[in-house]
Amino acid sequence: MRIEKLHSSKKTAAQLVLLILPGCIVGAYMLWHINQYYSVLNDQWLKHSLYLAVGLITGCIFYNYRFRFISTIIPLILLLLIISKIINSTFTGEFSVFYAATNFFIFSFLFIVGCLTGWGFARLRYFPVILSAILLAIQIVVVSKTSDITAQKLIIAFAPVLVFALYIIYTAELVRNMNDDEPAFAWFIGKKIIGFILVSSIILLLIFSLFNKEFKAIEKEFGGAGKQQKETDKESLTKENKDGTVSNKKEMGMSGGRSSSKRLVFIAKLDNYFPNSETPNPLYFTYDYYTKFDTLTQTLETDSLMPSNDLFQPDPSKIPLYFTQSDSSVILKAKGYLKRKVVTTEVYKALLSPQEFLAPSTAFFCQPIAVEKEYQQQFKTAYRAKMYVSDLNSAYFIYNPAGNQSLETFQQQRFDELRKVTNWNNEDKYFMDYYTFIPKGDSYDSIRALAQLVTKNSATPIDKMIAIREYFLSRDENGQPLFKYTENPGVPGLPSANKLTYFLFDNRKGYCAYFAGATLFLLRALGIPSRVATGFLTVDRSDKNKGWYWFYEDQAHAWTEAYFPGYGWIDFDTTIPSTEQQQSPAPDGTPPITVQSAYFVTTGKVLSVDTSKRRVEMQVTKMIFHDKTFDLKEPVDLDMDVSIATINKDTGSVSLSEIKQGMQITALSFSEQFKNIIPIDSNSPKEIFSKIPHPAPIDEIRIQDTEKEKQQKEQPKKEKKSLSITKLILVALAILGGIVLLIFCLPWLIYRWFKFKALQKNNCTSKAYWQYTSAMYLLNQLGFTRNDLSPLQFAKQQIDPQFKTNFSAFVQVYLKSKYSTQRLTLSEENTVTGFYRPFESAVKNKIPFKKRFNKFLNFYRTINYFTKPKV
Amino acid sequence: MQQEVNTETALQNIQRLTDNIETVIKGKRNQIKFVLTALLAKGHILMEDNPGTGKTVMAKTLAQSISGSNAGNINFKRIQFTPDLLPMDLIGSHIFDDIKKEFIFKKGPLFCNVLLADEINRASPKVQSALLECMAENQITIGEITYKLDNLFFTIATQNPVEMEGTYPLPAAQLDRFFIKIIFGYVDEETELDIYKNYLGINNNLNNIQRVLSLDEILFLQQQSESVFVHEEIIKAVRNIVWATRRHQDILLGASTRSGITFLKCLKAYALVNGRTYVIEDDINDLTSPVLDHRLIYKNKDAKVKTLAAITVAEMDRLSKLKISN
Repeated sequence: MRIEKLHSSKKTAAQLVLLILPGCIVGAYMLWHINQYYSVLNDQWLKHSLYLAVGLITGCIFYNYRFRFISTIIPLILLLLIISKIINSTFTGEFSVFYAATNFFIFSFLFIVGCLTGWGFARLRYFPVILSAILLAIQIVVVSKTSDITAQKLIIAFAPVLVFALYIIYTAELVRNMNDDEPAFAWFIGKKIIGFILVSSIILLLIFSLFNKEFKAIEKEFGGAGKQQKETDKESLTKENKDGTVSNKKEMGMSGGRSSSKRLVFIAKLDNYFPNSETPNPLYFTYDYYTKFDTLTQTLETDSLMPSNDLFQPDPSKIPLYFTQSDSSVILKAKGYLKRKVVTTEVYKALLSPQEFLAPSTAFFCQPIAVEKEYQQQFKTAYRAKMYVSDLNSAYFIYNPAGNQSLETFQQQRFDELRKVTNWNNEDKYFMDYYTFIPKGDSYDSIRALAQLVTKNSATPIDKMIAIREYFLSRDENGQPLFKYTENPGVPGLPSANKLTYFLFDNRKGYCAYFAGATLFLLRALGIPSRVATGFLTVDRSDKNKGWYWFYEDQAHAWTEAYFPGYGWIDFDTTIPSTEQQQSPAPDGTPPITVQSAYFVTTGKVLSVDTSKRRVEMQVTKMIFHDKTFDLKEPVDLDMDVSIATINKDTGSVSLSEIKQGMQITALSFSEQFKNIIPIDSNSPKEIFSKIPHPAPIDEIRIQDTEKEKQQKEQPKKEKKSLSITKLILVALAILGGIVLLIFCLPWLIYRWFKFKALQKNNCTSKAYWQYTSAMYLLNQLGFTRNDLSPLQFAKQQIDPQFKTNFSAFVQVYLKSKYSTQRLTLSEENTVTGFYRPFESAVKNKIPFKKRFNKFLNFYRTINYFTKPKV
Repeated sequence: MQQEVNTETALQNIQRLTDNIETVIKGKRNQIKFVLTALLAKGHILMEDNPGTGKTVMAKTLAQSISGSNAGNINFKRIQFTPDLLPMDLIGSHIFDDIKKEFIFKKGPLFCNVLLADEINRASPKVQSALLECMAENQITIGEITYKLDNLFFTIATQNPVEMEGTYPLPAAQLDRFFIKIIFGYVDEETELDIYKNYLGINNNLNNIQRVLSLDEILFLQQQSESVFVHEEIIKAVRNIVWATRRHQDILLGASTRSGITFLKCLKAYALVNGRTYVIEDDINDLTSPVLDHRLIYKNKDAKVKTLAAITVAEMDRLSKLKISN
């Protein structure tokens, strides 16, 4: 039996090169893209796209012979099923069956998808449209998985698919219609496709450049990042905000790599020293606590409902300058009262988002402070924070005493102190259950067993913790380190492997999040309440500037905290040192000038201004004196000396004359005169006022926005936000509507173009041509097609009797001008020039407007006009 | 200037000839045009249809419309082909002259201007092939002597549909000699009535046919048709159609190069018959089937009608969208 071919080999080759090959590339791209979102696929997209390509090519070639579809695809599926059954029965061992079966399933699936697509390309005329719809749908589903949508992500997801959709819809039709007998047909097709690619890329560029603003608006709406994140950053501990600043991520994955960027995030002055010494004692800067483990996603999560929530999370950008926000309840919830003290830190934010608040554990106080003018370029905002810090805490706590004798003895003292804790019998049961929760299951049992094994020789909790640390630092029988630090631990090669056990028992490579997560489980397995903290690792480089620390992006860190009754939460870092030691890129710069404390801050209404004497009188309603806030029930008038004061508004520095009576202002003073007046707790505001000098020396006045200005400022903001939602919808609708409108208008536009050309041309030959084209297009659109009639026959037999026109006379002249070298006679020229308008009106008279309108909406007729007739 | 005047008279002459024939053969304007096209292209025409559709009348009328050199009719011969017809019945034979004591050549009916070969496919292949040389070369060779035929030699052959009994299908080589093959067909109802009335009312029109053109004028028209202008795109279109027939999967034997040349000749003549001195795309549309169809051998009968039409439609589409700026 000879199977006949559907297309010539030339056409099949054209399909393979022009449709299947780009199809393979886009398929590979989509598999790669899906890989970004589904870790189940294990990053084997190259292999998978090979499967798909094999299916595509096979399908296309196979169905180019006249095989029936259903009677061939069903045996294929059955065959694949049988093979998978055979695989299941021949392979032994749970692992290899699973592995081979999974792999074979993926292969079969992709192969069949490829075959179906190849069949579609070979057989179905409208398949490209269907395929485009399916591809777009897949991309939409994939993209909807992400929480932060950015313009870049959208473009990455949709641009190639859109371009491909346009391309295949155009090219498939081109290939279908092509005349493979035509000489130089490859050049013909090449020309068309190059032209198409040029046009479509110009259109896409135009769209992206025209709607760039709208894209940005959409992006903002979704809270996405402005800059494209590097691939390696995708699982980093920090995330970038839309304004380029940095925040911590709200969940902690256990795959991928860490950020290796060396950008400065913030600097901090920490007034924490070892007892009775001048040696600075660095502390980890905590951002968030991860207390809950989601077994489904294998991630640690933050939990706002965690018992004894001691996390203080103010938004410094919402607190007016020098005003304070504090929450002393966290001190109570921190449950630590032994060996505790209050420590102050000043944080200057470089890349860190203004909304973020970072401080060593148990912060309870936040006060935004001003940044000196010369540093404002580098540091946008700053705040002061106070923490209730354990004496036992230190970034040096567990390891890296660096041979420093005093530090080593200090560590020893801490351990001795903590050895006093032997049990948690007096703790709240709910608290204990929560912080020692560990899921059930075989893999977690193996962790329990490991924890027991590691700590079998240790009695007290702290000794057990030290044993765990020693385990991570231990060496195997070959003298090689058991665990390695790496930024890129890779992902487990098996679909269902538990990442945690994979890290602990197989791979033993990872970065801080891996060590912290593993330690958390080991501790919890031992019944020690623990949680993971994230934030920034403090590296002491404060030789030059004592107490100042620089924090770079790659210092984002995760560690474990364990709870000791009476001592509270104690940092416990088990991350082993990296062999490639992290180094900051450049020597740390000079810190901002030691901040002057604003001893005296008042806010109130301006009563009078004297510009010549530089005096301002104000009615004080609220006052901060030595970090103590006083609300004055009875406003007090205050005379101020502003001769050295700078006057600031939101917009910048202004002159004294800007201050008007009735304005709300805040006045600050760093003056030594105030420093020396130490307030006593029992002092009432009136007593303080009586102590301070008159007029009070003021260093800075900030003019607050009046109610009106505030409203004005806030209103556009609000409008913008609500607008951007509607804007988003509007832009989407506008684009969609534009495309639909364009498609519906296109026939009419084409007709207008032809008519324009017909009326505008002066040369009789080209005028005749355009008039003919225009008339034929008009007739085609109205439903009169030439079919197999010759032009003259068509004019004589169909058009002239129908519309009572002299179309045939015109066609005769047109054909003469087209095929003859003779010049047209005067009467013939008159026929040409006087033809179109009467003809058009005759046609229009015969067909009512409503009918014409409907017919002109029919895009299908336009396509038919421009394609070769179907025979 | 001279050229234009000549063209003018040529076009008028053709119009007169057509009109004259149409007084007898009613409702067959297209067929008349094809016959004239074959005549002007110096070719021959094959008409296929059932008996009694007016084929013979057509030939007679054409012959009688042309006056011979000495004011009489031109030489018109009619041969009825039968299975027992011999070649010498056509071309003539040597007869012994008793007086001169030598063989003299007695010319057969082929020595004429217009030949009506009736039911050509009823004759044996031998007789058919005897026609070959004179149709192709305008000459007859008997033994060693070659006899030239008259300047005007036009064969109108008729054949019954091939499927009828007692027919010998014409060989491809001979079919190729016929420039045009048309199906005569019945006239429409109105015209049929007209024909009957005509027959009953007055005497047979055939006897009062006017001789509107002279033999020289016909030869001049043939000469004129040579000078009809053919645009390069038309030549290309002919090439494309010929090539398409060779490549088409349903066609066993495509058109030859000679048929392409014939096609062009016919196009020129047809343009002139239609009163033009240039070929247009309509001519191609009208002529593809009459000129090429009988030369092609199809794989199956079903494809016969559709295939060539499809090729033509595709090429017409190309031509019709073509922008030519002279």
